[in-house]
Amino acid sequence: MILQLLINGLVSGALYSVMALGFALIYNTTKIFHIAHGAVYAVSSYAFFASLRLLGLPLALSLILGLLSGTLLGIIIEILVYRPLYQKKASSGVILVSSIGIYIFIINLIALIFGNEIKILAPGIQKTYKYGSIILTQIQIIEIIVFIAVLAIFIFMIRATKFGKLIRALSNNPTLLSTLGIEVLKLRIGIFALGSLLAGITSCLSSWDIGMDPYVGMPMLLLSAVAMIAGGIGIFEAPVLGAFLITITQSVAIWKISSKWQDTITFAILIIFLLVRPQGILGKRKRIEEL
Amino acid sequence: MEYIVHILIMICIYGILALSLNLLVGYSGLLSLSHAAFYAIGAYTTTLFMMNAEFNFFTALIYGIIVTAISAIFIAYPSLRLKGDYFILTSLGFQLIIFNILYNWVGLTKGPYGIPGIPKPRLFGIEFYSNYLYLLLSIFFFSMVFIFLRLLYNSPFGRALKALREDEIAAGALGKEVPKLKIWAFIIASAIAAIAGALYASYITYIDPTSFTLDESIFIVSILLIGGSGNIKGPLVGTVFMIILPELLRFIGLPNTIAPNVRQMIYGLLLIILMRYRPQGLAGEYRFE
Repeated sequence: MILQLLINGLVSGALYSVMALGFALIYNTTKIFHIAHGAVYAVSSYAFFASLRLLGLPLALSLILGLLSGTLLGIIIEILVYRPLYQKKASSGVILVSSIGIYIFIINLIALIFGNEIKILAPGIQKTYKYGSIILTQIQIIEIIVFIAVLAIFIFMIRATKFGKLIRALSNNPTLLSTLGIEVLKLRIGIFALGSLLAGITSCLSSWDIGMDPYVGMPMLLLSAVAMIAGGIGIFEAPVLGAFLITITQSVAIWKISSKWQDTITFAILIIFLLVRPQGILGKRKRIEEL
Repeated sequence: MEYIVHILIMICIYGILALSLNLLVGYSGLLSLSHAAFYAIGAYTTTLFMMNAEFNFFTALIYGIIVTAISAIFIAYPSLRLKGDYFILTSLGFQLIIFNILYNWVGLTKGPYGIPGIPKPRLFGIEFYSNYLYLLLSIFFFSMVFIFLRLLYNSPFGRALKALREDEIAAGALGKEVPKLKIWAFIIASAIAAIAGALYASYITYIDPTSFTLDESIFIVSILLIGGSGNIKGPLVGTVFMIILPELLRFIGLPNTIAPNVRQMIYGLLLIILMRYRPQGLAGEYRFE
Protein backbone atom coordinates (compact mmCIF):
# COMPACT_ATOMS: atom_id res chain seq x y z
CA MET A 1 0.00 0.00 0.00
CA ILE A 2 2.61 2.52 1.06
CA LEU A 3 4.77 1.47 -1.89
CA GLN A 4 1.93 2.14 -4.32
CA LEU A 5 1.26 5.52 -2.71
CA LEU A 6 4.92 6.44 -2.94
CA ILE A 7 5.01 5.49 -6.60
CA ASN A 8 1.88 7.57 -7.21
CA GLY A 9 3.58 10.44 -5.40
CA LEU A 10 6.64 10.07 -7.60
CA VAL A 11 4.55 10.07 -10.76
CA SER A 12 2.65 13.20 -9.75
CA GLY A 13 5.96 14.76 -8.76
CA ALA A 14 7.25 14.06 -12.26
CA LEU A 15 4.12 15.54 -13.79
CA TYR A 16 4.04 18.69 -11.65
CA SER A 17 7.81 19.24 -12.04
CA VAL A 18 7.37 20.06 -15.70
CA MET A 19 4.93 22.87 -14.95
CA ALA A 20 7.00 24.08 -12.00
CA LEU A 21 10.08 24.32 -14.23
CA GLY A 22 8.17 26.67 -16.53
CA PHE A 23 6.81 28.82 -13.71
CA ALA A 24 10.24 29.12 -12.10
CA LEU A 25 11.86 29.91 -15.44
CA ILE A 26 9.54 32.89 -15.80
CA TYR A 27 9.88 34.01 -12.19
CA ASN A 28 13.65 33.66 -12.01
CA THR A 29 14.25 35.70 -15.13
CA THR A 30 11.47 38.30 -15.22
CA LYS A 31 10.54 38.39 -11.50
CA ILE A 32 6.90 38.20 -12.54
CA PHE A 33 4.73 36.18 -10.20
CA HIS A 34 2.83 34.79 -13.12
CA ILE A 35 -0.59 33.86 -11.67
CA ALA A 36 -1.97 33.87 -15.21
CA HIS A 37 0.20 30.79 -15.77
CA GLY A 38 -2.76 28.92 -14.29
CA ALA A 39 -4.90 30.30 -17.12
CA VAL A 40 -2.32 29.24 -19.71
CA TYR A 41 -2.54 25.79 -18.18
CA ALA A 42 -6.33 25.70 -18.48
CA VAL A 43 -6.30 27.02 -22.04
CA SER A 44 -3.94 24.24 -23.15
CA SER A 45 -6.25 21.61 -21.70
CA TYR A 46 -9.33 23.09 -23.29
CA ALA A 47 -7.71 23.62 -26.69
CA PHE A 48 -6.65 19.96 -26.56
CA PHE A 49 -10.18 18.96 -25.57
CA ALA A 50 -11.85 21.12 -28.22
CA SER A 51 -9.66 19.86 -31.05
CA LEU A 52 -10.00 16.23 -30.06
CA ARG A 53 -13.61 15.96 -28.95
CA LEU A 54 -15.43 18.85 -30.61
CA LEU A 55 -13.59 19.10 -33.92
CA GLY A 56 -12.71 15.41 -34.03
CA LEU A 57 -9.09 15.95 -35.07
CA PRO A 58 -6.53 13.16 -34.66
CA LEU A 59 -4.86 12.79 -31.27
CA ALA A 60 -1.38 13.95 -32.29
CA LEU A 61 -2.68 17.05 -34.05
CA SER A 62 -4.95 17.92 -31.11
CA LEU A 63 -2.04 17.58 -28.75
CA ILE A 64 0.05 19.94 -30.87
CA LEU A 65 -2.82 22.43 -31.05
CA GLY A 66 -3.25 22.24 -27.28
CA LEU A 67 0.41 22.95 -26.63
CA LEU A 68 0.52 25.64 -29.29
CA SER A 69 -2.44 27.60 -27.96
CA GLY A 70 -0.98 27.66 -24.44
CA THR A 71 2.35 28.86 -25.80
CA LEU A 72 0.67 31.54 -27.91
CA LEU A 73 -1.39 32.73 -24.97
CA GLY A 74 1.77 33.07 -22.88
CA ILE A 75 3.36 35.21 -25.58
CA ILE A 76 0.23 37.34 -25.97
CA ILE A 77 0.05 37.98 -22.23
CA GLU A 78 3.67 39.09 -22.20
CA ILE A 79 3.26 41.43 -25.14
CA LEU A 80 -0.10 42.95 -24.22
CA VAL A 81 0.14 43.16 -20.44
CA TYR A 82 3.56 42.56 -18.96
CA ARG A 83 5.69 44.37 -21.50
CA PRO A 84 4.05 47.80 -21.05
CA LEU A 85 4.29 47.38 -17.28
CA TYR A 86 7.94 46.38 -17.59
CA GLN A 87 8.64 49.44 -19.70
CA LYS A 88 6.85 51.61 -17.13
CA LYS A 89 9.00 49.95 -14.43
CA ALA A 90 5.83 49.02 -12.52
CA SER A 91 6.27 47.48 -9.07
CA SER A 92 5.95 43.73 -8.56
CA GLY A 93 2.63 44.19 -6.75
CA VAL A 94 1.06 45.98 -9.71
CA ILE A 95 2.27 43.22 -12.03
CA LEU A 96 0.93 40.52 -9.73
CA VAL A 97 -2.50 42.14 -9.54
CA SER A 98 -2.59 42.50 -13.33
CA SER A 99 -1.73 38.83 -13.51
CA ILE A 100 -4.66 37.99 -11.23
CA GLY A 101 -6.82 40.11 -13.54
CA ILE A 102 -5.69 38.13 -16.58
CA TYR A 103 -6.32 34.87 -14.76
CA ILE A 104 -9.86 35.85 -13.76
CA PHE A 105 -10.64 37.07 -17.27
CA ILE A 106 -9.43 33.96 -19.09
CA ILE A 107 -10.83 31.42 -16.65
CA ASN A 108 -14.27 32.95 -16.85
CA LEU A 109 -14.06 33.13 -20.62
CA ILE A 110 -13.37 29.40 -20.64
CA ALA A 111 -16.25 28.76 -18.26
CA LEU A 112 -18.49 30.86 -20.48
CA ILE A 113 -17.61 28.88 -23.59
CA PHE A 114 -17.26 25.36 -22.23
CA GLY A 115 -19.30 25.42 -19.02
CA ASN A 116 -18.25 24.73 -15.45
CA GLU A 117 -18.57 20.99 -15.38
CA ILE A 118 -15.72 18.48 -15.44
CA LYS A 119 -14.71 17.34 -18.92
CA ILE A 120 -13.26 13.91 -19.57
CA LEU A 121 -10.80 13.42 -22.38
CA ALA A 122 -9.69 9.81 -22.43
CA PRO A 123 -12.24 7.23 -23.53
CA GLY A 124 -12.88 4.21 -21.35
CA ILE A 125 -10.63 2.67 -18.75
CA GLN A 126 -6.90 2.98 -19.15
CA LYS A 127 -4.59 0.07 -19.70
CA THR A 128 -2.71 -0.88 -16.57
CA TYR A 129 0.58 -2.66 -16.04
CA LYS A 130 1.40 -4.71 -12.99
CA TYR A 131 4.88 -5.02 -11.50
CA GLY A 132 4.76 -7.11 -8.35
CA SER A 133 2.44 -5.25 -6.02
CA ILE A 134 2.62 -1.98 -7.97
CA ILE A 135 0.10 -0.99 -10.60
CA LEU A 136 0.85 1.73 -13.14
CA THR A 137 -1.52 3.06 -15.77
CA GLN A 138 -0.37 3.71 -19.29
CA ILE A 139 -0.61 7.47 -18.91
CA GLN A 140 1.47 7.34 -15.73
CA ILE A 141 4.26 5.61 -17.64
CA ILE A 142 4.03 8.22 -20.40
CA GLU A 143 4.20 10.94 -17.73
CA ILE A 144 7.43 9.53 -16.37
CA ILE A 145 9.01 9.23 -19.81
CA VAL A 146 7.96 12.77 -20.74
CA PHE A 147 9.33 14.10 -17.47
CA ILE A 148 12.74 12.50 -18.01
CA ALA A 149 12.91 13.76 -21.59
CA VAL A 150 11.83 17.29 -20.65
CA LEU A 151 14.25 17.50 -17.76
CA ALA A 152 17.14 16.31 -19.90
CA ILE A 153 16.38 18.76 -22.70
CA PHE A 154 15.78 21.58 -20.20
CA ILE A 155 19.08 21.07 -18.39
CA PHE A 156 20.94 20.80 -21.69
CA MET A 157 19.30 23.96 -22.94
CA ILE A 158 19.98 25.98 -19.81
CA ARG A 159 23.58 24.87 -19.49
CA ALA A 160 24.81 24.41 -23.04
CA THR A 161 22.97 26.64 -25.49
CA LYS A 162 23.24 30.35 -26.19
CA PHE A 163 19.59 30.82 -25.22
CA GLY A 164 20.33 29.18 -21.88
CA LYS A 165 23.30 31.41 -21.33
CA LEU A 166 21.16 34.50 -22.02
CA ILE A 167 18.49 33.24 -19.65
CA ARG A 168 20.99 32.76 -16.86
CA ALA A 169 22.45 36.18 -17.56
CA LEU A 170 19.00 37.76 -17.42
CA SER A 171 18.31 36.15 -14.08
CA ASN A 172 21.64 37.40 -12.71
CA ASN A 173 21.62 40.96 -13.94
CA PRO A 174 18.86 42.26 -16.20
CA THR A 175 20.25 45.80 -16.45
CA LEU A 176 23.68 44.70 -17.58
CA LEU A 177 22.19 42.45 -20.23
CA SER A 178 20.37 45.28 -21.97
CA THR A 179 23.46 47.45 -21.67
CA LEU A 180 25.37 44.80 -23.58
CA GLY A 181 22.98 45.19 -26.47
CA ILE A 182 20.95 42.03 -25.97
CA GLU A 183 17.33 42.50 -26.89
CA VAL A 184 15.71 41.73 -23.58
CA LEU A 185 12.19 42.10 -24.94
CA LYS A 186 12.76 39.34 -27.51
CA LEU A 187 14.40 37.18 -24.90
CA ARG A 188 11.36 37.60 -22.65
CA ILE A 189 9.12 36.35 -25.44
CA GLY A 190 11.26 33.25 -25.72
CA ILE A 191 11.05 32.73 -21.98
CA PHE A 192 7.27 33.07 -21.92
CA ALA A 193 6.92 30.75 -24.90
CA LEU A 194 9.06 28.07 -23.26
CA GLY A 195 7.46 28.46 -19.83
CA SER A 196 3.97 28.26 -21.27
CA LEU A 197 4.88 25.24 -23.38
CA LEU A 198 6.01 23.45 -20.21
CA ALA A 199 2.71 24.31 -18.51
CA GLY A 200 0.92 22.98 -21.59
CA ILE A 201 2.73 19.66 -21.42
CA THR A 202 1.67 19.08 -17.82
CA SER A 203 -1.80 20.31 -18.64
CA CYS A 204 -2.40 18.00 -21.60
CA LEU A 205 -1.03 14.95 -19.80
CA SER A 206 -3.01 15.65 -16.68
CA SER A 207 -6.26 16.33 -18.53
CA TRP A 208 -5.86 13.06 -20.40
CA ASP A 209 -5.34 11.32 -17.07
CA ILE A 210 -8.02 12.88 -14.85
CA GLY A 211 -10.00 15.32 -17.01
CA MET A 212 -10.41 19.00 -16.25
CA ASP A 213 -12.66 21.88 -15.29
CA PRO A 214 -11.99 25.61 -15.84
CA TYR A 215 -10.47 26.01 -12.38
CA VAL A 216 -7.73 23.34 -12.62
CA GLY A 217 -5.04 25.92 -13.22
CA MET A 218 -5.02 27.58 -9.81
CA PRO A 219 -4.06 24.59 -7.63
CA MET A 220 -1.41 23.65 -10.18
CA LEU A 221 -0.05 27.17 -10.17
CA LEU A 222 0.17 27.30 -6.38
CA LEU A 223 1.89 23.95 -6.32
CA SER A 224 4.43 25.24 -8.83
CA ALA A 225 5.04 28.36 -6.78
CA VAL A 226 5.57 26.36 -3.60
CA ALA A 227 7.80 23.89 -5.47
CA MET A 228 9.90 26.77 -6.72
CA ILE A 229 10.35 28.28 -3.27
CA ALA A 230 11.00 24.91 -1.64
CA GLY A 231 13.52 23.99 -4.32
CA GLY A 232 15.33 27.30 -4.23
CA ILE A 233 14.68 30.53 -6.07
CA GLY A 234 17.21 31.44 -8.74
CA ILE A 235 18.15 27.85 -9.56
CA PHE A 236 16.42 26.71 -12.71
CA GLU A 237 16.30 22.96 -12.03
CA ALA A 238 15.47 23.27 -8.32
CA PRO A 239 11.63 23.22 -8.65
CA VAL A 240 11.88 19.52 -9.54
CA LEU A 241 13.13 18.77 -6.04
CA GLY A 242 10.43 20.97 -4.55
CA ALA A 243 7.71 19.25 -6.55
CA PHE A 244 8.87 15.79 -5.49
CA LEU A 245 9.10 16.90 -1.87
CA ILE A 246 5.49 18.10 -1.98
CA THR A 247 3.99 15.12 -3.77
CA ILE A 248 5.85 12.56 -1.69
CA THR A 249 4.84 14.30 1.53
CA GLN A 250 1.29 14.33 0.27
CA SER A 251 1.27 10.64 -0.56
CA VAL A 252 2.69 9.73 2.82
CA ALA A 253 0.01 11.97 4.32
CA ILE A 254 -2.69 10.12 2.37
CA TRP A 255 -1.42 6.95 3.98
CA LYS A 256 -1.33 8.40 7.49
CA ILE A 257 -4.14 10.97 7.52
CA SER A 258 -6.37 11.48 4.51
CA SER A 259 -6.19 12.98 1.05
CA LYS A 260 -8.48 15.80 2.13
CA TRP A 261 -5.70 17.85 3.67
CA GLN A 262 -3.49 18.24 0.61
CA ASP A 263 -3.75 22.03 0.37
CA THR A 264 -2.94 22.38 4.02
CA ILE A 265 0.15 20.20 3.57
CA THR A 266 1.33 22.13 0.53
CA PHE A 267 1.10 25.44 2.34
CA ALA A 268 2.52 24.09 5.55
CA ILE A 269 5.58 23.20 3.46
CA LEU A 270 5.60 26.73 2.03
CA ILE A 271 5.41 28.39 5.43
CA ILE A 272 8.04 26.12 6.96
CA PHE A 273 10.42 26.88 4.11
CA LEU A 274 9.80 30.61 4.13
CA LEU A 275 10.38 30.88 7.84
CA VAL A 276 13.12 28.29 8.37
CA ARG A 277 14.98 27.91 5.09
CA PRO A 278 13.93 30.72 2.76
CA GLN A 279 16.67 29.93 0.26
CA GLY A 280 15.11 26.53 -0.44
CA ILE A 281 16.73 23.11 -0.59
CA LEU A 282 19.47 24.00 -3.05
CA GLY A 283 19.93 27.71 -2.46
CA LYS A 284 22.91 29.31 -0.82
CA ARG A 285 22.31 30.56 2.68
CA LYS A 286 20.21 33.70 2.61
CA ARG A 287 17.95 35.64 4.86
CA ILE A 288 14.34 36.08 3.83
CA GLU A 289 14.82 39.83 3.58
CA GLU A 290 17.28 39.34 0.73
CA LEU A 291 14.96 37.35 -1.50
CA MET B 1 -38.31 47.18 -2.55
CA GLU B 2 -37.16 43.98 -0.85
CA TYR B 3 -34.62 43.77 -3.65
CA ILE B 4 -33.16 47.21 -2.94
CA VAL B 5 -33.05 46.44 0.78
CA HIS B 6 -31.12 43.27 0.00
CA ILE B 7 -28.59 45.19 -2.07
CA LEU B 8 -28.19 47.80 0.65
CA ILE B 9 -27.55 45.09 3.25
CA MET B 10 -24.91 43.54 1.01
CA ILE B 11 -23.31 46.96 0.52
CA CYS B 12 -23.12 47.35 4.30
CA ILE B 13 -21.52 43.92 4.73
CA TYR B 14 -18.98 44.37 1.96
CA GLY B 15 -18.40 47.96 2.99
CA ILE B 16 -17.34 46.71 6.41
CA LEU B 17 -15.02 44.16 4.78
CA ALA B 18 -13.50 46.70 2.40
CA LEU B 19 -12.98 49.33 5.09
CA SER B 20 -11.25 46.83 7.34
CA LEU B 21 -9.04 45.42 4.62
CA ASN B 22 -8.14 49.00 3.74
CA LEU B 23 -6.22 49.09 7.01
CA LEU B 24 -3.93 46.38 5.61
CA VAL B 25 -3.81 47.20 1.90
CA GLY B 26 -4.12 50.96 1.87
CA TYR B 27 -2.51 51.82 5.18
CA SER B 28 0.07 49.11 5.81
CA GLY B 29 0.81 48.25 2.18
CA LEU B 30 0.12 44.55 2.77
CA LEU B 31 -1.90 42.99 -0.05
CA SER B 32 -3.59 40.26 1.95
CA LEU B 33 -5.50 37.54 0.11
CA SER B 34 -6.83 36.04 3.32
CA HIS B 35 -9.64 38.40 4.23
CA ALA B 36 -12.35 35.91 3.30
CA ALA B 37 -10.74 33.54 5.80
CA PHE B 38 -11.31 36.01 8.64
CA TYR B 39 -14.77 36.77 7.32
CA ALA B 40 -15.36 33.00 7.49
CA ILE B 41 -13.93 32.56 10.96
CA GLY B 42 -16.17 35.37 12.18
CA ALA B 43 -19.23 33.88 10.52
CA TYR B 44 -18.58 30.34 11.73
CA THR B 45 -17.60 31.11 15.32
CA THR B 46 -20.54 33.46 15.81
CA THR B 47 -22.87 30.88 14.30
CA LEU B 48 -21.46 28.03 16.37
CA PHE B 49 -21.74 30.02 19.59
CA MET B 50 -25.33 30.89 18.71
CA MET B 51 -26.37 27.38 17.73
CA ASN B 52 -24.39 25.23 20.16
CA ALA B 53 -24.12 27.44 23.22
CA GLU B 54 -27.45 29.18 22.54
CA PHE B 55 -25.90 32.59 22.99
CA ASN B 56 -27.62 35.73 21.86
CA PHE B 57 -26.31 37.13 18.53
CA PHE B 58 -24.55 40.03 20.22
CA THR B 59 -22.82 37.91 22.85
CA ALA B 60 -21.84 35.37 20.23
CA LEU B 61 -20.50 38.17 18.06
CA ILE B 62 -18.13 39.25 20.81
CA TYR B 63 -16.75 35.72 21.04
CA GLY B 64 -16.55 35.59 17.26
CA ILE B 65 -14.53 38.79 17.19
CA ILE B 66 -12.16 37.51 19.87
CA VAL B 67 -11.54 34.16 18.13
CA THR B 68 -10.99 35.86 14.78
CA ALA B 69 -8.61 38.41 16.26
CA ILE B 70 -6.57 35.61 17.83
CA SER B 71 -6.44 33.68 14.57
CA ALA B 72 -5.12 36.81 12.85
CA ILE B 73 -1.88 36.39 14.75
CA PHE B 74 -1.07 33.32 12.62
CA ILE B 75 -0.84 35.47 9.52
CA ALA B 76 0.44 38.60 11.27
CA TYR B 77 3.69 36.99 12.39
CA PRO B 78 4.83 35.74 8.98
CA SER B 79 3.96 39.19 7.58
CA LEU B 80 6.67 40.72 9.71
CA ARG B 81 9.36 38.91 7.77
CA LEU B 82 7.84 38.37 4.34
CA LYS B 83 7.76 41.06 1.71
CA GLY B 84 5.85 41.54 -1.51
CA ASP B 85 5.09 38.41 -3.48
CA TYR B 86 6.06 36.13 -0.61
CA PHE B 87 3.60 37.67 1.77
CA ILE B 88 0.84 37.55 -0.84
CA LEU B 89 1.53 33.87 -1.45
CA THR B 90 1.54 33.13 2.28
CA SER B 91 -1.74 34.94 2.86
CA LEU B 92 -3.18 32.99 -0.03
CA GLY B 93 -1.95 29.81 1.63
CA PHE B 94 -3.60 30.82 4.89
CA GLN B 95 -6.85 31.37 3.01
CA LEU B 96 -6.67 27.89 1.47
CA ILE B 97 -5.83 26.25 4.79
CA ILE B 98 -8.83 27.87 6.50
CA PHE B 99 -11.04 26.78 3.62
CA ASN B 100 -9.61 23.27 3.95
CA ILE B 101 -10.47 23.25 7.64
CA LEU B 102 -14.01 24.54 7.09
CA TYR B 103 -14.55 21.94 4.42
CA ASN B 104 -13.01 18.94 6.10
CA TRP B 105 -13.58 19.37 9.83
CA VAL B 106 -17.09 18.03 9.43
CA GLY B 107 -17.55 17.40 13.15
CA LEU B 108 -17.36 21.11 13.91
CA THR B 109 -18.37 22.97 10.77
CA LYS B 110 -20.59 20.33 9.07
CA GLY B 111 -18.18 20.69 6.14
CA PRO B 112 -19.76 20.90 2.67
CA TYR B 113 -23.27 20.38 4.09
CA GLY B 114 -23.20 23.84 5.63
CA ILE B 115 -25.09 25.07 8.67
CA PRO B 116 -28.76 25.90 8.06
CA GLY B 117 -31.26 27.65 10.32
CA ILE B 118 -29.00 30.27 11.87
CA PRO B 119 -31.14 32.42 14.19
CA LYS B 120 -31.70 36.12 13.59
CA PRO B 121 -30.38 38.63 16.12
CA ARG B 122 -32.69 39.52 18.97
CA LEU B 123 -32.44 42.64 21.12
CA PHE B 124 -34.83 43.81 23.88
CA GLY B 125 -37.48 41.42 22.62
CA ILE B 126 -37.24 42.64 19.01
CA GLU B 127 -36.23 39.97 16.57
CA PHE B 128 -34.56 41.36 13.46
CA TYR B 129 -36.61 39.12 11.27
CA SER B 130 -37.76 41.41 8.47
CA ASN B 131 -35.17 42.65 6.03
CA TYR B 132 -36.01 46.26 6.84
CA LEU B 133 -35.06 45.78 10.47
CA TYR B 134 -31.98 43.86 9.39
CA LEU B 135 -30.98 46.74 7.15
CA LEU B 136 -31.20 49.07 10.16
CA LEU B 137 -28.97 46.72 12.12
CA SER B 138 -26.49 46.52 9.23
CA ILE B 139 -26.44 50.29 8.89
CA PHE B 140 -25.83 50.55 12.63
CA PHE B 141 -22.83 48.21 12.45
CA PHE B 142 -21.56 49.83 9.28
CA SER B 143 -21.71 53.30 10.84
CA MET B 144 -19.96 52.09 13.98
CA VAL B 145 -17.18 50.57 11.89
CA PHE B 146 -17.03 53.65 9.69
CA ILE B 147 -16.72 56.04 12.63
CA PHE B 148 -14.23 53.82 14.44
CA LEU B 149 -12.02 53.42 11.37
CA ARG B 150 -12.26 57.08 10.47
CA LEU B 151 -10.97 57.96 13.90
CA LEU B 152 -8.34 55.25 13.63
CA TYR B 153 -7.17 56.30 10.16
CA ASN B 154 -6.59 59.82 11.41
CA SER B 155 -5.12 58.82 14.74
CA PRO B 156 -1.37 58.61 15.42
CA PHE B 157 -1.75 54.87 14.87
CA GLY B 158 -3.15 55.39 11.36
CA ARG B 159 -0.50 57.92 10.48
CA ALA B 160 2.24 55.65 11.78
CA LEU B 161 0.90 52.85 9.57
CA LYS B 162 1.01 55.19 6.59
CA ALA B 163 4.58 56.09 7.40
CA LEU B 164 5.47 52.43 7.59
CA ARG B 165 3.77 51.79 4.26
CA GLU B 166 5.83 54.48 2.57
CA ASP B 167 9.16 53.52 4.13
CA GLU B 168 9.39 50.84 6.74
CA ILE B 169 13.02 51.44 7.63
CA ALA B 170 12.57 55.19 8.01
CA ALA B 171 9.48 54.68 10.16
CA GLY B 172 11.44 52.26 12.34
CA ALA B 173 14.32 54.70 12.59
CA LEU B 174 11.91 57.37 13.82
CA GLY B 175 10.99 55.16 16.73
CA LYS B 176 7.79 53.58 15.40
CA GLU B 177 7.53 49.99 16.54
CA VAL B 178 7.00 48.38 13.15
CA PRO B 179 6.18 44.80 14.30
CA LYS B 180 3.70 45.98 16.89
CA LEU B 181 1.95 48.28 14.44
CA LYS B 182 1.61 45.57 11.83
CA ILE B 183 0.29 42.99 14.26
CA TRP B 184 -2.30 45.43 15.56
CA ALA B 185 -3.33 46.32 12.03
CA PHE B 186 -3.99 42.65 11.38
CA ILE B 187 -5.84 42.11 14.64
CA ILE B 188 -8.12 45.13 14.11
CA ALA B 189 -8.75 44.39 10.43
CA SER B 190 -9.70 40.77 11.08
CA ALA B 191 -11.79 41.58 14.14
CA ILE B 192 -13.85 43.95 11.98
CA ALA B 193 -14.12 41.33 9.23
CA ALA B 194 -15.65 39.05 11.87
CA ILE B 195 -18.51 41.54 12.30
CA ALA B 196 -19.22 41.34 8.58
CA GLY B 197 -19.12 37.55 8.81
CA ALA B 198 -21.62 37.44 11.66
CA LEU B 199 -23.95 39.85 9.87
CA TYR B 200 -23.79 37.75 6.73
CA ALA B 201 -24.42 34.44 8.52
CA SER B 202 -27.42 35.72 10.42
CA TYR B 203 -28.83 37.49 7.38
CA ILE B 204 -28.65 34.54 4.98
CA THR B 205 -29.35 32.09 7.89
CA TYR B 206 -27.20 29.51 6.13
CA ILE B 207 -23.43 29.25 5.69
CA ASP B 208 -21.21 26.77 3.94
CA PRO B 209 -17.54 26.94 2.95
CA THR B 210 -18.26 27.96 -0.66
CA SER B 211 -19.12 31.48 0.51
CA PHE B 212 -15.57 31.92 1.76
CA THR B 213 -13.33 30.74 -1.04
CA LEU B 214 -10.17 32.22 -2.47
CA ASP B 215 -12.36 33.88 -5.10
CA GLU B 216 -14.13 35.71 -2.29
CA SER B 217 -10.80 36.96 -0.99
CA ILE B 218 -9.86 38.11 -4.45
CA PHE B 219 -13.24 39.82 -4.74
CA ILE B 220 -12.69 41.76 -1.51
CA VAL B 221 -9.21 42.79 -2.61
CA SER B 222 -10.63 43.80 -6.01
CA ILE B 223 -13.06 46.14 -4.26
CA LEU B 224 -10.06 47.97 -2.85
CA LEU B 225 -7.98 47.85 -5.99
CA ILE B 226 -10.80 49.06 -8.21
CA GLY B 227 -12.26 51.60 -5.79
CA GLY B 228 -8.92 52.60 -4.41
CA SER B 229 -7.37 52.45 -0.97
CA GLY B 230 -5.46 54.54 1.51
CA ASN B 231 -8.36 56.85 2.28
CA ILE B 232 -11.94 56.31 3.41
CA LYS B 233 -13.54 57.17 0.04
CA GLY B 234 -11.89 54.51 -2.08
CA PRO B 235 -13.27 51.40 -0.33
CA LEU B 236 -16.79 52.87 -0.33
CA VAL B 237 -16.70 53.75 -4.03
CA GLY B 238 -15.33 50.27 -4.73
CA THR B 239 -18.01 48.52 -2.68
CA VAL B 240 -20.90 50.36 -4.25
CA PHE B 241 -19.47 49.83 -7.72
CA MET B 242 -18.72 46.13 -7.28
CA ILE B 243 -22.08 45.30 -5.68
CA ILE B 244 -24.17 47.35 -8.11
CA LEU B 245 -22.40 46.29 -11.29
CA PRO B 246 -23.92 42.77 -11.37
CA GLU B 247 -27.37 44.24 -10.83
CA LEU B 248 -26.83 46.65 -13.72
CA LEU B 249 -25.81 43.72 -15.89
CA ARG B 250 -29.08 42.06 -14.98
CA PHE B 251 -30.98 45.17 -16.04
CA ILE B 252 -29.41 45.29 -19.47
CA GLY B 253 -30.84 41.82 -19.95
CA LEU B 254 -27.83 39.54 -19.68
CA PRO B 255 -29.12 35.98 -19.24
CA ASN B 256 -28.58 34.55 -15.77
CA THR B 257 -26.60 31.60 -17.09
CA ILE B 258 -23.74 33.72 -18.36
CA ALA B 259 -24.02 36.76 -16.08
CA PRO B 260 -21.66 35.53 -13.32
CA ASN B 261 -18.90 34.79 -15.82
CA VAL B 262 -19.33 38.06 -17.68
CA ARG B 263 -19.23 39.92 -14.38
CA GLN B 264 -15.99 38.22 -13.38
CA MET B 265 -14.51 38.98 -16.80
CA ILE B 266 -15.32 42.64 -16.31
CA TYR B 267 -13.61 42.60 -12.90
CA GLY B 268 -10.54 40.95 -14.39
CA LEU B 269 -10.35 43.40 -17.26
CA LEU B 270 -10.82 46.34 -14.89
CA LEU B 271 -7.95 45.12 -12.73
CA ILE B 272 -5.64 44.92 -15.75
CA ILE B 273 -6.64 48.34 -17.06
CA LEU B 274 -6.49 50.09 -13.68
CA MET B 275 -3.10 48.61 -12.84
CA ARG B 276 -1.79 49.95 -16.12
CA TYR B 277 -3.29 53.43 -16.12
CA ARG B 278 -4.45 54.21 -12.61
CA PRO B 279 -2.82 52.06 -9.91
CA GLN B 280 -4.52 54.07 -7.15
CA GLY B 281 -7.96 52.89 -8.26
CA LEU B 282 -11.01 55.03 -9.00
CA ALA B 283 -10.99 57.13 -5.84
CA GLY B 284 -8.02 55.97 -3.83
CA GLU B 285 -4.98 57.74 -2.59
CA TYR B 286 -2.43 54.99 -2.21
CA ARG B 287 -0.58 54.06 -5.39
CA PHE B 288 -0.33 50.38 -4.94
CA GLU B 289 3.18 48.87 -4.98
